Amino acid sequence: MNIRLGALLLGLMVPGLLLAGEYSLTVDRVTIDTGEFVKEGIGYNGKSPGPVLRFKEGETARISVTNNLDEMTSIHWHGLILPFDQDGVPGISFPGIKPGETFTYEFPIQQAGTYWFHSHSGFQEPDGAYGAIIIEPKEREPFRYDREYVIQLTDKHPHSGDRIMRNLKMMPDYYNRQQQTIGEFFSDASSQGFWRTLEDRLAWGSMRMMKADVEDVQGFTGLINGKGPEQNWTGLFEPGERIRLRFINSSAMTYFDIRIPGLDMTVVQADGNNVQPVTVDEFRIGVAETYDVIVRPRDHQAYTIFAESMGRSGYARATLAPEDGMEAAVPQLREPARLTMADMSGMDHGDMAGMDHSNMEDMGHSQMEGVDHSSMEGMDHSGMAGMDHGDMMMPKGGASDPFYAKGSGLLPTAANGGKFLSYADLKAQDPLYEDREPTREIELRLTGNMERYTWSINGVKYEDADPIRLKYGERVRFKFVNETMMTHPMHLHGMWSILDVGADQWNPIKHTVSVNPGTTVYIETEVDEPGQWAFHCHLSYHAAAGMFRKVIVEGGPDANQAKADVVTKEGGEV
Amino acid sequence: MKLAKLTAASVALSMAVTAYAGGTHGGGHGHGASSGEPGKASEVTRTIAVRMYDNYYEPEEISVKPGETIRFVVENKGKLVHEFNIGTPDMHEAHQKEMQMMVEHGVIQGNKLNHDMMNMDMGHGHSMKHDDPNSVLLEPGQSQEVIWKFADKGNIEFACNVPGHYQSGMYGDVTFE
Repeated sequence: MNIRLGALLLGLMVPGLLLAGEYSLTVDRVTIDTGEFVKEGIGYNGKSPGPVLRFKEGETARISVTNNLDEMTSIHWHGLILPFDQDGVPGISFPGIKPGETFTYEFPIQQAGTYWFHSHSGFQEPDGAYGAIIIEPKEREPFRYDREYVIQLTDKHPHSGDRIMRNLKMMPDYYNRQQQTIGEFFSDASSQGFWRTLEDRLAWGSMRMMKADVEDVQGFTGLINGKGPEQNWTGLFEPGERIRLRFINSSAMTYFDIRIPGLDMTVVQADGNNVQPVTVDEFRIGVAETYDVIVRPRDHQAYTIFAESMGRSGYARATLAPEDGMEAAVPQLREPARLTMADMSGMDHGDMAGMDHSNMEDMGHSQMEGVDHSSMEGMDHSGMAGMDHGDMMMPKGGASDPFYAKGSGLLPTAANGGKFLSYADLKAQDPLYEDREPTREIELRLTGNMERYTWSINGVKYEDADPIRLKYGERVRFKFVNETMMTHPMHLHGMWSILDVGADQWNPIKHTVSVNPGTTVYIETEVDEPGQWAFHCHLSYHAAAGMFRKVIVEGGPDANQAKADVVTKEGGEV
Repeated sequence: MKLAKLTAASVALSMAVTAYAGGTHGGGHGHGASSGEPGKASEVTRTIAVRMYDNYYEPEEISVKPGETIRFVVENKGKLVHEFNIGTPDMHEAHQKEMQMMVEHGVIQGNKLNHDMMNMDMGHGHSMKHDDPNSVLLEPGQSQEVIWKFADKGNIEFACNVPGHYQSGMYGDVTFE
């Protein structure tokens, strides 16, 4: 709902009409139809996804949000640089918006690019409470296009977020359909030998992980702009035009590998910030990330936008076509990714030798059922500590990417054998900050226990953790060490994450940084916004389970600290 | 054509280079897909200033008379390396493969050029010098001239073939009056 059309003129004549940068949103119960199922959910102005909010750099955003739900709500403006009390995180930025109440956000728009917004209350976001933000820059863009489309992805699940969390807590593999079966056990046993296979399964079991833990919530339908694969959202073009596609991953849990067979894609922005253009055949978009690409279809034909989930359990699909109703072939899903021993190289291998076998029966891993447990007692456990991890499973083709563990089962390759985007390809087009030495380093180990579905940082979950305290004006280097077997998209609110890709002053700035299993990733942050901020894994159920921190910025140009103390006292859910 | 005959260059690439060379220098041989030929300073009728920014040109369109010889004064006012290259879309596409190789070999490094690498003898008398008369490749702050005699007509663009730049819109149209 863009009400800016003629607003300047009409605004003078019609009192109460919204002006530039002004929006009015209602938070409503809505019906979401994916084409595969119909589900009640939450949306904005009667729909999920909500409207695309357009702003212009330099103007003031004024957004009134009316809560029509019977529970608290909030809206977080993902990736926007703004005063902390406008950031929309209950218990950190403000108390939240009570049922029936209206809260008006007001903040200056001081950046440009593609962003999004979503509820930061409970599981309202997975239930449908999200929308897109487009900010037009003051100056001309460093690229050209004839038309543009938002391509907003999500992983709509037939279960509500609350129900998914309950099920995960009860049985962490509840939604993991691709776990290895007893049949697979015997086929591996015949090819690799019984003891070898058993050792492999025991090794994984002792880490309370499964090789198929690429996606812990499967069974979703991938949506693009609210449309399921059969509903086929379609964007029109004239052959020869350059089209800017603004990809936003608003999924609760799902990474997507995106390609458009027949077209290469030139990536021009990552997380709203211009990058030196890089042309790719395929790219992986982490949860909460955005990528803007330019494509140029020259032929009078349809092209499929195919977004395959990282674990290959589902997909989203849309079409670019010169005429409505045209469509192109939809590719098959590729083979599911399987984690390898490399993906758990960050875990504590010491546990393996001393694993407690007594709890094997309640591990909840179905592949164990039917195995003759009596035979385990006789096996030589000592061999496990000395297992050769290197030869377990190596990806084919010799592809490599410094942001994946060597030998990782997650390492992506392009379906057409071409170029797959790596973080290492991302270079700032026009660096925002001067490069300088960080003032200190803070290590954040990403930790978890899959069996109990607990997720944490440095082994401590949010409710038990002290805030991370930063000083205004410093430049902090964060060291993420992923000791789990899942990929975690880490999102720092309010300040940019300068991703260390080894390009010094050309390192790109992002709001969400994926940390793959078995890897260490560094970001630096110029601590230039006072107040207090959320810092968390953006996988909805990981954040809720405790992989979350409050960051407090001490000091600053004005007396924001007093304000922050007030907010903390009022509390509220996160 | 000395550009980019690296050991790594495949037969396919060599063919692309050959085709590109034919296009560039074929103005006098009656090829339809030609963009023109190197011009003589004495035949220059106009001077056009072209400023290169990140990643676009000013102006983004120029108008020429058939067969006109123009002096382009090209200045890189951006923070990244840029090219000004006159050719047909097909020629640009072929040249982009060479430029990709120059990036992969560290000749083009974002905001600077590795001149030692460019001048290095790659064997068989080849190097990665970027010295074709229809183009200049400039670091930030540099300025250089191109004198070009346009063909009588054709689908001609000026373009920056640094990887990703053309694709994201760093090109301009040449229209014939």
